[in-house]
Amino acid sequence: MKNAIPDEILLQVEKPARYVGREVNMVKKDPENVDIRFAFCFPDVYEVGMSHLGLQILYYFLNRREDTYCERVFSPWTDLEEKMRENNIPLFALESQEPLRKFDFVGFTLQYELCYTNLINMLDMSNIPVLSCDRTDDDPIIICGGSCAYNPEPLADFVDIFYLGEGEVLYDQILDMYKAHKKAGGSKAEFLESLLELDGLYMPKFYDVSYKENGEIESFKPNHPKARKTIKKVIVTDMDNVFYPEKQLVPLIEVVHDRVTLELFRGCIRGCRFCQAGFVYRPVREKTAPTLLEQAKNLVKCSGHEEISLISLSTSDFTCFPELANGLLDEFKDKLVNISLPSLRIDAFSIELMEKVQEVRKSSLTFAAEAGTQRLRNVVNKNLTEEVILDGCKLAFDGGWTKVKMYFMLGLPTETEEDLRGIGALTDKIVEKFFEIPKENRPKPVTVNASASCFVPKPFTPFQWDAQDTYESFGEKARIAKRSITRKQVRFTYHNTKMSSLEGVMARGDRRIGAVIYKAWENGCRYDGWTDKFNWEGWTNAFEETGVDPAFYANRVRSYDEILPWDHISVGVSRQFLINEREKALRAEVTPNCRQECSNCGAKTFGGGVCYDDIQV
Amino acid sequence: MMTYRFKFSKGEEIKFIGHLDIVQAFQRSIKRADLPIAYSNGFNPHQQIDFASPLSLGYVSEGEYGDLKLTQDLEPKEVMERLNAVLPDGMVIKELIRRRDGVKNTMASVSAGRYKAYLDSRITPKMVEENLENYFALKEIIVMKKTKKNFKETDIKPDIFQLINASEGESAIIEMVIAAGSTRNLKPESVAEGFYNFVGVEYNKFKIGFKRMDIYMVIDEKLVPLTYGVEF
Repeated sequence: MKNAIPDEILLQVEKPARYVGREVNMVKKDPENVDIRFAFCFPDVYEVGMSHLGLQILYYFLNRREDTYCERVFSPWTDLEEKMRENNIPLFALESQEPLRKFDFVGFTLQYELCYTNLINMLDMSNIPVLSCDRTDDDPIIICGGSCAYNPEPLADFVDIFYLGEGEVLYDQILDMYKAHKKAGGSKAEFLESLLELDGLYMPKFYDVSYKENGEIESFKPNHPKARKTIKKVIVTDMDNVFYPEKQLVPLIEVVHDRVTLELFRGCIRGCRFCQAGFVYRPVREKTAPTLLEQAKNLVKCSGHEEISLISLSTSDFTCFPELANGLLDEFKDKLVNISLPSLRIDAFSIELMEKVQEVRKSSLTFAAEAGTQRLRNVVNKNLTEEVILDGCKLAFDGGWTKVKMYFMLGLPTETEEDLRGIGALTDKIVEKFFEIPKENRPKPVTVNASASCFVPKPFTPFQWDAQDTYESFGEKARIAKRSITRKQVRFTYHNTKMSSLEGVMARGDRRIGAVIYKAWENGCRYDGWTDKFNWEGWTNAFEETGVDPAFYANRVRSYDEILPWDHISVGVSRQFLINEREKALRAEVTPNCRQECSNCGAKTFGGGVCYDDIQV
Repeated sequence: MMTYRFKFSKGEEIKFIGHLDIVQAFQRSIKRADLPIAYSNGFNPHQQIDFASPLSLGYVSEGEYGDLKLTQDLEPKEVMERLNAVLPDGMVIKELIRRRDGVKNTMASVSAGRYKAYLDSRITPKMVEENLENYFALKEIIVMKKTKKNFKETDIKPDIFQLINASEGESAIIEMVIAAGSTRNLKPESVAEGFYNFVGVEYNKFKIGFKRMDIYMVIDEKLVPLTYGVEF
């Protein structure tokens, strides 16, 4: 098989291995012998995309069908893009090295808002018309999923179908319908219409939106008799019997995460009020330990990886965690396979466990405190007290750890200067905790890395109505937080404020943002999530040229009766629940987690998961 | 414990994977093959496997070498088959033997390499035939060699042992045996560059394909492949 890019060019770009495929466990099929060709596109660079669990699952899920060939596509780095455009080489899929235009489906996973210009760019590089209305029956169908699809409106002009929910549920049905439709010689328009039968799919062309003079949405209505008023996400209810790949693609170059990924459960019981994942993936649905141990053994064996990572939104909340952890330790202890445990709550059990899994190298300890004071932590429903943090640190320092990472957020609703100064107070206390242990028991000096992100209000969270700070205000707040730190052992960094501002606009944008994204892409914006590629001027010009005011989207408080751009979508969690949560937030009241008490968020309608477990007392 | 020496090829499929990644790919393959690989002692145990000489990115090869140590004495045929079943596409072990102790490791043994340079279409086989001998007869061959900071004029002639016109049909190919290893090392690119300069055609290394044919060590003043005379 010939590479799409000639050697002469590959030799001149950074990491040419990104573009030639042929990794271990890559699926090989003859494209001529399948009915459906599906391009799974990740709108970022290879090393990021190859570390994404969703890609690994859907790749093998779709390829388990004999009639379908799912291939991968990543965004070419800017050096190769330049050469491809110079030499008129269209974007291609890694497996067959063939251009995307030949495919039936071109699917994108939307993991963060700042990849939108990459999506436009990838379509353009494929010679596929970027706007849905310009595409014909000869062009592929563009379908998008992933967490950003829950507010699809900014991309409504470019995408044919948004898939809301988990891929395992509907893809078989969609592909069966497509195959039958293609055999019968039907048009693309007819196929999309036939999909209106299914819930979980949002097709923008079947909906019209109008605006009030003040810029708010006046109405959002279906323009087709079969189009649903509300589209509800689709999810897997039986996690133990759902498809999970027996193999994993093993890249031949170093990627962000080189390891086996084991998905423990979906959803999160916590309900932190800033966290979109905590609401859109409800309810919690777990796998059982025996299933996971079996999957772990398999994946380690067929990948040859030396590390296995347990993936979930909050690993300590996994009900079978002790059983799983001990099982994994027994299985892999002598095989020199490391167990990596992200998203752990720091307590006696996890400290003991971490000591077992990383006997030699002590990595750093991470606390997502999110806010500097208890009041503000209550506002965001972050169930983590100063006492728990300091006790955890004490345990860890006694165990020989000397590095602590603290995550904070700037600009949370109701935040005051006192909350910002709380960041310094808390990190200083951690350092003092370290000095409480006897000098001879300190292997190394302590370091506390406090890093602050800028709060971005997201759809389907209680803060979806709130105003985001301006980037100037984020900068000022970061300075206050930094000044509040007195200990030299604490290092403070914060996220790019302008990038967070832009993310804020995209996250709650409506259809009118599409024109801005298109313009920004024309202005040369790519890889907006990469600090060294981020082109603020390209974006500010795009807003100016399209007459769209970013502050309308980012920095404005909405009223509860305003129609929000994502109101036609349901993630199961009711609007009333979100309103209640917001009101409680303003009163700094916390809400118990799903295992303590059901708060009737609405996710029970899916008929599975934690909602049907016995409530623990 | 048993040490094995193996020779493998690196094909078109995998020529853009650099040396460190090839090492990693081997380590993962050994795990997939579930071979009883020996580990080093210490805080960070690593697999006991090492390689003769890194191959430049973009090169293919028919003669790469390495040593690996197993905790059990398995039949070489079995080790080779189990590895070949799981190695990435384009990597094939051609030869694998039990290696006796007291032999220098592959990297320390390297003295020379045999390469083929596939020249671009501006050079015809006829041009090679007419010029190669004269080129090799030059007293000195000066090319610009990259040093840590800048470029330096260097005479590469002493490091060229043999040049052969290996052209096939319409494609011009130069085969060469040149110095390699830790004491003297020459890149085949420099030999090609010198030849382009000699025939007055502008040199562009991205247009030329390179293949390593074999790696040699010196035994009794002769160049021999790294598997020569080391068998258990």
